[in-house]
Amino acid sequence: MDEIELSSSHRVLVAVMNDPRDLEIARHEGWYRIPLKRAPTRVAADYLAFYQTKAFGDEKWAVNYYAPTRRYRLVTRAELLPEEADHPRAREPYYKVEIGPLQRLPRPIPSKRLRRVAFIPTTLERLLRAEEINDLWDRGSREDGLWEAFRREGIEAERQYEVEEGMVRHRNSEQSVVDFAIFCQEGQVAVICEGEPAGEGLRVIRERQVSDYDLATLSWTVLRFDRQQLSRDVPGCLAAVREAVSRCGGQVDPCDWTNRE
Amino acid sequence: MRLGFAVKMLGQPDLKSHDTRRWQNEPHLSVSLAYVRDLFGYLDRADIRMYRLSSDLAPYLTHPDLPQFHHQLDECAAELALVGQMAREAGLRLSFHPSQYVVLNAADEAIADRSAADIATKAQMLEAMGLGAEAVVVVHPGGVYGDRKSAMERFVARYEGLPAVARQRLVLENDDASYSVRDIHCIHQQTGLRLVFDYLHFLNYNPEGLSLAEALALNLDTWPADVTPKVHFSSPSTAMRTVEHTDSRTGGRRLVLRSPRPTQHADFIDPFAFIAFLRQAQGLRDFDVMLEAKAKDLALLRLRDDLGRFAPGLLSEEGG
Repeated sequence: MDEIELSSSHRVLVAVMNDPRDLEIARHEGWYRIPLKRAPTRVAADYLAFYQTKAFGDEKWAVNYYAPTRRYRLVTRAELLPEEADHPRAREPYYKVEIGPLQRLPRPIPSKRLRRVAFIPTTLERLLRAEEINDLWDRGSREDGLWEAFRREGIEAERQYEVEEGMVRHRNSEQSVVDFAIFCQEGQVAVICEGEPAGEGLRVIRERQVSDYDLATLSWTVLRFDRQQLSRDVPGCLAAVREAVSRCGGQVDPCDWTNRE
Repeated sequence: MRLGFAVKMLGQPDLKSHDTRRWQNEPHLSVSLAYVRDLFGYLDRADIRMYRLSSDLAPYLTHPDLPQFHHQLDECAAELALVGQMAREAGLRLSFHPSQYVVLNAADEAIADRSAADIATKAQMLEAMGLGAEAVVVVHPGGVYGDRKSAMERFVARYEGLPAVARQRLVLENDDASYSVRDIHCIHQQTGLRLVFDYLHFLNYNPEGLSLAEALALNLDTWPADVTPKVHFSSPSTAMRTVEHTDSRTGGRRLVLRSPRPTQHADFIDPFAFIAFLRQAQGLRDFDVMLEAKAKDLALLRLRDDLGRFAPGLLSEEGG
């Protein structure tokens, strides 16, 4: 049977490490756990990389290490952590992702702003090339093109930003995510890239995204760009973004936004 | 009627169908199953309820020189069960179609033994997933080797030598040059094997001159009443092929255009041919259709759109 290989990229899942003990487990015992109930849409990967949070001192708020995956075992939490057999989630199933040796990245991949990082599916090429967290997102060439344009033009944005607080939860949606979030003096600008069709007349199914109404109730200004705009009129998209940012009082310095959170 | 596609997702090309790493990088069935779990999410969002799993789901499982890979099925009981549970909950029909190198009636005993092992392991995976009788392993009879009668007898003998789990899940498909619908029906009569009707293969090789409805009915009737039959549908390619030609005198290489072969799969499905096929199948029992098109899931989504445009209600008439 013919199989068409469009991409030979090695897949990477960036996962969060909140506890130094978990890094030691990864380093010395060679595994990382993901609760099955809270596993992301994309859990499988050829490599895991780890975003370390504030408990990690000098290494905090950055991705510093990665390792090849070896096994995805289904086990209970109690099997993983027998010393916590009385834990409320002791009997719940987890993926025990067994990994090879931890390798240090050529350079850390920081998050410039304090934001919630969950799981980020990416590729090994992006991981080894990334300068900051937002470079990791693998969302298609059109969205990447807009990201690169933002960087060139000095528009500071967060990619795949989860808008949680105060949001009305949509039925059947896990989270409300905008493709780009730009933080301003008087509100925020959300940029949403409409579905990435794979061919004329065909629309690839994308995850549901948040509604304009819900965002507006939280002082978000929403811009939606379709694939034609993203392919053929990036300057027009940039102009619309700049105008929206201006109407919201101009961009906030990333450090100011961090303090605000 | 469920429509399905095989293995690769073009609509979401960053979704892998299995662990593709080379043996030196220690790929594993459990990693493949994690990829399968992920792609089930895509299938569900796209409302696709039939899918062919990669033949390489368990990397190197039967490779004679890599024994470290031989116990993956035992090592992945829980993970296989989870994938099966997810498939059942989603109403997703799964199947395998071993590669062209799996030839159960091979004249070479070593090839035949490896083929039998491959079939058995795929059947065992479906079994370990806890899937019902609709989850099958599809094979062709194999080669003719200059003596069709002996080749068919060899297939029957080898089939009967398979473990029970493999015999229960194995189904037989007509091919485009050697074994017609009549031929595989003959094997069915000896073995009870269920048959898969392949539309394009039938168009290419039908020496008995059966009508399409006759041939389809012969295949559908080999399935028990409580198991939905499976059919393969594809359209013949009409695209010029770019082929690299090597000059035998000079060794120089150049690209040439060649006309398509009628046995080759087109990128998409001709909706009008599919509609005509379904109309000819009216009155026969319901079946599921595996679409064999190079555009994979995109071909399925396009066909679904086309059916809505050119023959609205036809799928619902067919129970789809």
